[in-house]
Amino acid sequence: MTALVEATGLRKTYGTVEVLRVDRLSLAAGQVVALLGENGAGKSTLVRVLTGATAADAGRVDLAGRELRNGDPAHAQELGVATVSQEFPLVGEMSTAENLMLGRRAGSGRVVFDRRATERAAAEVLGLIGADVLLDQPVSRLSVAQQQLVEIAKALGRDPRVLVLDEPTSALGPVESRRVLRVARDLAAQGRAVIFIGHRLDEVREIADRVLVMRNGRLVADLSPEEATTGAMIRAMAGDEAEVLVEGDPPRPGAGSVLTVRGLEAAGIGPLDLDVGRGEILGVAGLMGSGRSRLVHALMGAARTTGGTMTLAGQPYAPRHPADAVRAGVGLVPEDRKRQSLLPVAPVRWNISLAALPRLARRSWLDPRAERTFTEDVRKSVKVRCATQEQPIGTLSGGNQQRAVFGRWFATEPRLLLLDEPTRGVDVGAKAEIYHLVESFAARGTAVVIASSELEELMRLAHRTAVLARGRLVTTIPRSGYSKHALMTAANSEGAAP
Amino acid sequence: MTTSLTEPPPPRVALGGTFLRGKEIGVVGAVVVVFAVFALANGNFAGVSNLQTMGVDLAQYGLLALGVSFVIITGGIDLSVGSVVALSGVWSAWLNVHAGLPDVVAIALALVTGAAIGVVHGLSVTVLGVPPFVTTLVTLVAARGAALALTEGFPIDGVGEVFTSIAQYRIASVPVPTLLFLGACVLAWLFLERTYQGRQLYAVGGNAEAARLAGIRTRRRVVLAYVVSSTCAAAVGVLVTARLTVGQPSIATGWELNAIAAAVIGGVGLAGGVGRVLGVAFGAILLVLINNGLVILHVSPYYQQIVLGAVLAVAVVTDRLRGRGAERDRR
Repeated sequence: MTALVEATGLRKTYGTVEVLRVDRLSLAAGQVVALLGENGAGKSTLVRVLTGATAADAGRVDLAGRELRNGDPAHAQELGVATVSQEFPLVGEMSTAENLMLGRRAGSGRVVFDRRATERAAAEVLGLIGADVLLDQPVSRLSVAQQQLVEIAKALGRDPRVLVLDEPTSALGPVESRRVLRVARDLAAQGRAVIFIGHRLDEVREIADRVLVMRNGRLVADLSPEEATTGAMIRAMAGDEAEVLVEGDPPRPGAGSVLTVRGLEAAGIGPLDLDVGRGEILGVAGLMGSGRSRLVHALMGAARTTGGTMTLAGQPYAPRHPADAVRAGVGLVPEDRKRQSLLPVAPVRWNISLAALPRLARRSWLDPRAERTFTEDVRKSVKVRCATQEQPIGTLSGGNQQRAVFGRWFATEPRLLLLDEPTRGVDVGAKAEIYHLVESFAARGTAVVIASSELEELMRLAHRTAVLARGRLVTTIPRSGYSKHALMTAANSEGAAP
Repeated sequence: MTTSLTEPPPPRVALGGTFLRGKEIGVVGAVVVVFAVFALANGNFAGVSNLQTMGVDLAQYGLLALGVSFVIITGGIDLSVGSVVALSGVWSAWLNVHAGLPDVVAIALALVTGAAIGVVHGLSVTVLGVPPFVTTLVTLVAARGAALALTEGFPIDGVGEVFTSIAQYRIASVPVPTLLFLGACVLAWLFLERTYQGRQLYAVGGNAEAARLAGIRTRRRVVLAYVVSSTCAAAVGVLVTARLTVGQPSIATGWELNAIAAAVIGGVGLAGGVGRVLGVAFGAILLVLINNGLVILHVSPYYQQIVLGAVLAVAVVTDRLRGRGAERDRR
């Protein structure tokens, strides 16, 4: 067996945090290598260094025997590396064939677009993965799985020897996932090295010839398929600290129920039951695609529910629009700050007062001075640091922006606060402040539901954690039963499969 | 994913009070300079009679620009206003002359028709998801056609006294249409800056998904914006018919572009979420000053268009440069 990828002494540090420390790594042709690890374990950094997307601070990468110029993605491509991820999206309105041949020319015509030759060349590429996708359809009409296959085929267009599949199945259902996995296997059988970044352990067991596990930027386990039992993989990912409870408890929950959910169903989730009490922080864990965000959006009325009943503070609660939810006393800090939370060019003041405006106004009228004072108070209590509240929020750091979004709901004094990945894209120091904010909400009696992919976060904050798998509630683990091991095992349980 | 561990330096804060905030200073200054230049070049420019003419022109362009600004603030565009002016102009005349309705009723019905067109635009954009450009392009063509069909191509003569007195009556030498425009500015300013629905309008244009998840009924705000725009256009139609004393189906061709230009010159961002009434008003004033001044100086109409184009180009480029500056601050 020849080594296609050879790496030695890789180091990468951001600020004071070492995110990558890999001394030796060698990947052979003809294998599917699964790369596992929690969020922030260093998987993406490693892959980005191997594909030239990020420059390592130290170390050397050889691809097929030639040294990669550090941090040069074009060179990596030349040496035969291709990545399938959302970074090179498809052009929705163009046909499959056109997408596959984008930026290249098929046929003899120098000026005129040769549709026949393009489709012939595209069919050849699709043949490599044995996918039957209509070539002349716009890709926006294909199913998500088909689009994923087209993306893989597109990456194969340059006949790469090393192929990176970054979470290729997270958006897919079981049947569709199987197809993509089979393609990954076939590609390895053709003599390529396939690096598969995955979250679902059952999939990893199904296709991997070798499982590498990362933790804190290091390779901590190198398992053969026989060794890679679900238990062994979870033990490697969670590490020794798995059984140690994280220091500091959230404030004790108060008495009385705030939210009850019975038989809730929405696209891709349910039916499921939940209860959250006054001042209680309920964690929601689960793998990517398990329905964490969907659940939160359904509770907010931002996604259509198809069944079930909810009550909020004893009243029937059936939000058809987030406006209904806000009026009933619910708030949401969404996952994608830029796309779902911020008015980027608007001042900090507007961003903070946004959800509280109807309460702030008297018969529609806003008193500018009252608004300024009110916002200033909120800004201070959530500790947004800025020169003035009139500056555009886009000029602030990620942590400050996120605290302002918390302030938006602080201002409405919600009964129920929904959080989706509340610390995504904020630095370590800002994380701690956001944890304090979440606790201060709970201390005021707000019921908090926090969906997160970071287990430490849930173990640090939540009184109980509900674990989802494929849209179903697997189990609810109380604080006394917390361990990464337990949470990961539940998230990977098969019992939830329909 | 990396985030910098250091806080960015505090950005520069715009000078000036809340009334004259950074962005509008440019257009206000331009109005002062252009007025001074034309007044020095020709003694008649600043005379009462020319000021009154400009005031009536301003009412027409200004009302359209104001209405279109509502739509642009939500992130949309309204190309139909010129045609709606024509339709409303002949429709009010038709109702008055051919249907024999009292002047006031005819005018009211024309305004209601304008509002109804706005509702259709709004629903098409929000419920059907047809892009604003396409939605209003349909009306641009169809409303003009309706105006021609209604009159069979000939002007409708003989509108009532209320029409003619709107155009001729003056209060303290200020023409009534100009006063109507000033009133509309005050109302628009109150709505946009002093009510929470106004703020929500900006939020929808700034980031529609964020606005929705913050509990704003974005569809209602968008529909409202189109209603305001079409109703303003209908009002301008009545004003033009009053001024000409006939319902003319061919009026206001291309005025939508003047209206959009005035809004953009006044600092309304075509990406949505940005723009203030003060800027829009002065954008319209600048357009009227240039139009009228060039006529008085006997500049050929062809050159007038080149000058207007140049002014628009300057406005757009400054807007881009300012946007880039803000992005750099964000890094």
